[in-house]
Amino acid sequence: MAPRLPARCWRQLSSPSSIAASASLVPRASLLPAPTPITLTTPSTAHISTTSTRSARSGWSTLPPRTAKPYRFNQATSGLPTLTTGPAAALKRKERTTPVRTGVLAVKKGMTVFMGRRGARIPCTVLQLDRVQTVFNKTRSKHGYWAVQVGMGERHPDNVGAPLLGYFEAKGIPPKEILAEFRVRDESGLLPVGVQLMPDWFQVGQRVDVRSNSRGMGFAGGMKRHGFAGQEKSHGNSLNHRTIGSVGPSQGSGSRVLPGKKMPGRMGNQRVTVQNLPVLLVDNDLGIVVVKGCVAGPKGCVVRIQDACKKEPPPKEFVEKARKVLEERFPDAEAHLQAARERHLELKAARREKRIAELMEGGLMVPQEQAEKIEQILAAEAKEGGKNAEVVA
Amino acid sequence: MNAAPLARRPLGCLKATLRQTRHQRLLVRQMATEAAQTTSKPPLEHGFYPITDPKKKTLRTAFAVYSQGTVAGVKNIPPPPSNVLQALHEEQIKRLDPTGVRTAMFSKNRDAVKPGDVLMITHRRGGEPFAGVVMSIRRRGIDTAVLMRNHLGKVGVEMWFKVYNKNVAGIDIIKRAPKRARRARLTYMRQPKHDMGSVENLVFEWKRTRKVFSTARSAAGAGGKKGKDAKAAKKK
Repeated sequence: MAPRLPARCWRQLSSPSSIAASASLVPRASLLPAPTPITLTTPSTAHISTTSTRSARSGWSTLPPRTAKPYRFNQATSGLPTLTTGPAAALKRKERTTPVRTGVLAVKKGMTVFMGRRGARIPCTVLQLDRVQTVFNKTRSKHGYWAVQVGMGERHPDNVGAPLLGYFEAKGIPPKEILAEFRVRDESGLLPVGVQLMPDWFQVGQRVDVRSNSRGMGFAGGMKRHGFAGQEKSHGNSLNHRTIGSVGPSQGSGSRVLPGKKMPGRMGNQRVTVQNLPVLLVDNDLGIVVVKGCVAGPKGCVVRIQDACKKEPPPKEFVEKARKVLEERFPDAEAHLQAARERHLELKAARREKRIAELMEGGLMVPQEQAEKIEQILAAEAKEGGKNAEVVA
Repeated sequence: MNAAPLARRPLGCLKATLRQTRHQRLLVRQMATEAAQTTSKPPLEHGFYPITDPKKKTLRTAFAVYSQGTVAGVKNIPPPPSNVLQALHEEQIKRLDPTGVRTAMFSKNRDAVKPGDVLMITHRRGGEPFAGVVMSIRRRGIDTAVLMRNHLGKVGVEMWFKVYNKNVAGIDIIKRAPKRARRARLTYMRQPKHDMGSVENLVFEWKRTRKVFSTARSAAGAGGKKGKDAKAAKKK
């Protein structure tokens, strides 16, 4: 790295002629008046700006500003060894453990058992997918990695802020209770925006990783939180039966508590991943995925289900089939998204120009048949109401 | 305000729709008269969510909000049912207990098994049938289980049996409790004072009476494991 010296220190060092000139200049200037002004700037330093960018804000340096990508020199064509750090290297490193397709959000409904025909009894957890929709795709070029943002559940617009309402408006998606993103290996894992992921996204028998927040235990002592042994009940012990005891050695070892010392504190409510759970059952009507074994968290907690990263993904045919089914189920996804985007731009402009009230009124137009239908219903209602009124009278 | 939901809401919501349209009666009538205007625009896919200024009480802004159940152009996608666990239980019970005998046996009615009754359970893997007094019944749908206690060689033995498990081949009621127990779980039976001891005598007695009544059938080998549930049900 070049030393970030002020320009005035190294400007004259850059060319030997200027040094010589300046060294010989001092005595000569004192003896006789200089016949011609000597230019101190040499061609090599002429292009460096001197004072214009020197300020407290720019760090008093006249070096060209560092860019966001300091490793630009190491291009693929430069013949240097490939970098083992940086975004590209990180993506490459994590490629094998990143699932090929997105996961889903679900709600833990509870545990039950799966009784086999031959007497096997398998404890299992029931996870329900509540209108899981894809919301957004993140790409390598724009965001640095590939991921699918997924939303689940419903949220009343009262409880959604204006920015997020605009976000959902632009997608043509009703406000979602929860948004989460799932990283995928490459762009083939991205999905059309707005489609619903059903339980048959997963194959019975495949392995999944299930992530959720564990049950919160509140502030817990060392015995409960870390399994410390506690202290004696008797033998002179007083009021210290469940305390943690010593927290470290004394003078000679620094007389300090080492970082990471296990102590009492908040326990639970942490992200817990249960890996490689087999899927026992998927049911689109009930909207459930049943996985073997237990999953962290209380009933009703939100869980993330994704293909297991330490096992082979489901067979390629299945992945393709699931994707095809998805596209067949929602053939108008593209058109709907486009319409929603256009509408969003229209409304956005209206909001900016304070025309939204008019637009709301204008938007409430009903087509002819519907208006007639409503008329009929109203007429019928009025008739009934009239009858009732007569009866009352 | 928006009359468009009429088409996408089911009839159950007619009341709400009518209420909405009633507010809009005047507006709608105007529009019905001005047919040329109204037919030109397609119905909106979304409603509006207005945000009012809390101080001025005027409309600040509004956002289009698509109705819940709108998915990529497909409308009226209902939320999934909420009682999935019950549905799962029912489905499995239907499969594992098609006659419904065991469900009746451990449901909460007068004829069902109660704590204090003596049962004999034949297990596919256990060898000898296990007889004992029912200490508690744990009702959890498909995972319903019963805890039984007996003495085998002067040692108290307790065993849980999953009622719907295929390994539980047969459940026989040996003896009903003379009086309804006043506890749901008879854990006090573990104390020597209240321990019932071995139920061997009761089982022996029951076997003897059965032999008397069904000699011909037992000789023919009809007292197999399959028929046991049915007999128990008949006994009730």
